[in-house]
Amino acid sequence: MSAEAVRQPAAAPIVDVRNVRKVYRRDAEQITVLDGINLQVPPGEFVALMGPSGSGKTTLLNLIAGIDRPTSGEVVVAGTDVGRLSESELARWRSHNVGFIFQFYNLIPVLTAQENVELPLLLTSLSKKERRERALTALKVVGLADRAGHYPRQLSGGQEQRVAIARAFVADPGVLVADEPTGDLDAKSAEEILALMESLNRDFGKTIVMVTHDPRAAERAHTQKHLEKGVLKA
Amino acid sequence: MRFLPYILKHLRRNWVRTGSTILGMAVCIFLFCTLRTVLKAMDDARELGNVTRLVTRHSVSLVYNLPLSYEGQIAQVPGVKRVAISSWFGGSLPAKKESQDKSKEGQPDFSNFFTNLAVEDEPYFAMHPEFSVPPGEMQAFREDLRGCIIGRGLARQYGWKVGDNFFLESFIPPYRRREGPFEFVVRGIFDADKVREPAADDRVMYFHYKYLYESTGRRVGAGLYVVELEDPKQAATVARAIDARFENSEAETKSETEAAFRADFIAMIGNLALLLNSIGLAVIFTILLVTANTMSMAVRERRTEIAVLKTLGFSSRQVMGLILAEALTIGVLGGGLGLALSVAIIRGMTKVPGVSGFINGFPNFGLHWGVSSQGLGIALFLGLAAGFMPALVAYRSRITEMLRQV
Repeated sequence: MSAEAVRQPAAAPIVDVRNVRKVYRRDAEQITVLDGINLQVPPGEFVALMGPSGSGKTTLLNLIAGIDRPTSGEVVVAGTDVGRLSESELARWRSHNVGFIFQFYNLIPVLTAQENVELPLLLTSLSKKERRERALTALKVVGLADRAGHYPRQLSGGQEQRVAIARAFVADPGVLVADEPTGDLDAKSAEEILALMESLNRDFGKTIVMVTHDPRAAERAHTQKHLEKGVLKA
Repeated sequence: MRFLPYILKHLRRNWVRTGSTILGMAVCIFLFCTLRTVLKAMDDARELGNVTRLVTRHSVSLVYNLPLSYEGQIAQVPGVKRVAISSWFGGSLPAKKESQDKSKEGQPDFSNFFTNLAVEDEPYFAMHPEFSVPPGEMQAFREDLRGCIIGRGLARQYGWKVGDNFFLESFIPPYRRREGPFEFVVRGIFDADKVREPAADDRVMYFHYKYLYESTGRRVGAGLYVVELEDPKQAATVARAIDARFENSEAETKSETEAAFRADFIAMIGNLALLLNSIGLAVIFTILLVTANTMSMAVRERRTEIAVLKTLGFSSRQVMGLILAEALTIGVLGGGLGLALSVAIIRGMTKVPGVSGFINGFPNFGLHWGVSSQGLGIALFLGLAAGFMPALVAYRSRITEMLRQV
């Protein structure tokens, strides 16, 4: 019995994708984006999803993040079958369980770095002071405490992505999903972001599922999964 | 409240657009409140007239005078206690000699217009107990043909006191004379008891009808007759009796209560209520479209942000609430600014030369809380209505679709 097989029963997967299909309809045409996907990610894992454009990586990531629903199959994340939740339940579930890191950072331009990081905490019962303290702590973790009062336009791309990462984990979700987090960055900044994600995985025990085209980024993950035409390859 | 800073920051994002929308909303509410105030003042004027007095005028128009012989005949109608002539002089202060425009020197200055009436003093003041004049001043007035009695408000406005003299020039041709403007001497200042008679105006000047009559070559008739009733309940009967007496004569009369007279006087301007209401509605509808456009643009620009908010865990209802709150904030700020503008302008109108004379003819002219509440209510409604569709779009939109459209 391999070491991996021994480890699996000890920790139930925090992400459990079972026989998932995702079909989009465009007029009369049906496009199958994901076809019979099975993926189990144990807690504390760092998984890279790779594959050519249009292979369904982002769609799978969206399903795991609970921002889209499968056509069939089950997506169980942190013990919840997200496909069975109503829209409002799903929103509440997302705020507690998943942090999303976008390729283009998607910070709110009118808010400072600290206010951007504080956004998910507005949905909690924390006081203003507690929210501020937590946001500052998150910014410290990503090394941008001194930029708390800066607006996104005053930050570099790498710094913006670090703020976005702080926003993703400030509410302490179990799973972080990242859609090409280094796709819009230069090599140096990309390296910093990957190091930060490694640190979040290693030091804070965050499970990370990352979509990437970049083989060097994928190398930082513990596991690499390849998607081709909506099918997960070994 | 925890979302308020977020909402305000978004409003500041495109401050020119937000500012102009708020300003547009403010103009809308300002117009609504100001127009409604004028309409309310007119309605009040209709309701507040005294029922113990009738007004008898020429049945065709106020422009035509009634024969002086009617006075005695009206006095003989059963139920009539007193009759007094009251002619609207339409006088203005002549332009000052130091005026820079020499061509207008000595011409009436209509920016200094105020109500001035030529009356038969004894019966007129006897039937208007709401005007109180010190007996000595009233006596001095009666003894001086050029004497006049002015209201306390008018005295304050021009700084006039007993003994001062001034000139008035009428714009009504029969009341003008070759030797120039009429000279008047202030012989008394009256106070108006607004508790007794809410329509009582203390910015009016009264002078002797005899002065007008004699100065114009004894050719003018009576502008109208004010008739005091023995019994207010007999108003309709007495009015009919007076008009019946002059039926088929050269100058038929129309008698009505003071309230009805005011209503008729205002109606001469035309269907002002319809006009003002139409303007108000048009402005409100325009601002609704402008605000809706602003909100739509603001939401369209923020599709990604809306998707991000939903991704972070904001429910569709919360996102909809944020957008509606933003639109509502525009409504509150616009409404508040509009109300403030309205208060300032309405107060200012009572001091603007030319306009104040017209305004002061209305009792209790001012922005009432009812009108203010309506104005603020409209602002809130406009905000909500304008924000509803964009908010609904944000509510219904799916995260993946919004992110894909970036």
